[in-house]
Amino acid sequence: MNDAIKMQVSAFVDGELPDNEAELLVRRLSQDYELRQQVADYLAIGRVMRRESGVAGVERMRDRISAELDDRPSQDNADRAPTSNPSRLLRPLAGVAIAATVAVVAILGLRQTTGPGEPGVNEIPAAVADAATDVTYTEPALGDDMLRQYRLIHDEISSDFDVSDINARLMTLQLRDAVYFEEVSDEQDISAVDAVEDPAPANSRPQ
Amino acid sequence: MRQQSYSAAAAWIALGGLCAAAPVLAADAAGPHEWLDRMAIAVQTTNYEGTVIRLRNGTTEALRVVHKVVDGVIHERVVVQEGNGLEIVRHGNEVHCILPDSKSVLVEEWNDQSTLFSSLPSSDIRFGSEYDIVIVRKDRIAARKTVLLAIRPHDNFRYGHRIWLDIETGFPLQTQLIGDDGRPLEEVKFADIDLDSEILASALAPSYNTDNFRWYTQPSRRSNKVVKTDWAAEDLPTGFRVVSTRQEQVAGAEGPVLHILYSDGLANVSVFIATEQDKNIEQRSQVGASNSYSVANGNYRVTAVGEVPAVTVQQIAESMRLAD
Repeated sequence: MNDAIKMQVSAFVDGELPDNEAELLVRRLSQDYELRQQVADYLAIGRVMRRESGVAGVERMRDRISAELDDRPSQDNADRAPTSNPSRLLRPLAGVAIAATVAVVAILGLRQTTGPGEPGVNEIPAAVADAATDVTYTEPALGDDMLRQYRLIHDEISSDFDVSDINARLMTLQLRDAVYFEEVSDEQDISAVDAVEDPAPANSRPQ
Repeated sequence: MRQQSYSAAAAWIALGGLCAAAPVLAADAAGPHEWLDRMAIAVQTTNYEGTVIRLRNGTTEALRVVHKVVDGVIHERVVVQEGNGLEIVRHGNEVHCILPDSKSVLVEEWNDQSTLFSSLPSSDIRFGSEYDIVIVRKDRIAARKTVLLAIRPHDNFRYGHRIWLDIETGFPLQTQLIGDDGRPLEEVKFADIDLDSEILASALAPSYNTDNFRWYTQPSRRSNKVVKTDWAAEDLPTGFRVVSTRQEQVAGAEGPVLHILYSDGLANVSVFIATEQDKNIEQRSQVGASNSYSVANGNYRVTAVGEVPAVTVQQIAESMRLAD
């Protein structure tokens, strides 16, 4: 992102960019995913440096880009690899409902490849060398509760060996967060959550 | 306490042995391993308050961090500035994870490593076989002079690291996990920081009155058994070795699940072996820099998980064999 774009973005956020230039900026951002990411990072770092929790201009920019994208529904899809099996979003997951998992997706940007026997499996190269580079990203399957538990165990045991950092720990918390969001929002029987995550709940602060 | 005594003892022995040398270490003369020693001391002893930018999966997240060490005990508060507003308040090993949106508090027990930097390599790790460590250049991060260290793997079975260390204190101001294409997969970077500033107790207190929140305690997994196993990886990437073998209780599994943790000293891979029952586990998945690969093996399902490239978990999972 060059300095001219940075100046335009700053001017837009400050409400000082002329309408015709603002239109061009929004259009360009709506068409360029990488530039949107760079602008988002630039704005986030700027907010942090100024210790601001939010800036009205940023919200306005986000709304306008969203509106532009709404008119171009295929644009974001073009930024991502196609999902091979969207219907898997409807598959139930024990203890964690769709909304919670979608929240995890939103937080973590979970990327998952198709599994054996799934449509599109033939598109996955078998060669080990291709595994790291040529993968088909889809939304996460909802039958991966076992895998989620494996990740939690891995993070927890790794921390015993002093190798778990803030990224791993936040991921662990966010994975658990999905369970708590679900548990609290639906006011379900806590025991249903216990069966999945084994937390020992208490309704009052422990002494 | 989870390995508290061992970790604390190691930290204080290292501190005792090195604290005399560190202040007089000339920055220009120090080699990469001396910088790692300085860093190990700095992350154990430095008080700081600052804003951390966390880059992951192409997204940016800001954390406000206050960190104070008193008699070797960590007191810390980490507040996620966006999203769910997660707040982590830590006093020693006890950690309260406050979820304001759901009015919940999760109580956990963590080890006594630094929250932000516990995964950084220490001088105990034997570099030279699987990794090179080099000083790249001097740089400036958060308005402070830094030296950039690069930890470069010899092969594509593990990630690299870049660490920017404050020249004055040895404190890490920026860290990156580097993929095999040379691009950062994850990054933790201070946007601003006050080192060794006076930290008031109020700065470590939670932002919320949590009296009416729902509290949960995450029980320790200490009950899980250390076991011996006849399972082994026949094609383990160079440098990895078994560091732990346990039986885990996993919800949804018919019986105990065997868990083998492999490590090369820096990168870690867990292998889980369960009786074949859940055919829904995805063969391959990725969360940030963490990859997993799952494959059927006779009557068992073998799943490898770790912060390593996809090729590593696949090779390990596919090479697991049960000795006759």
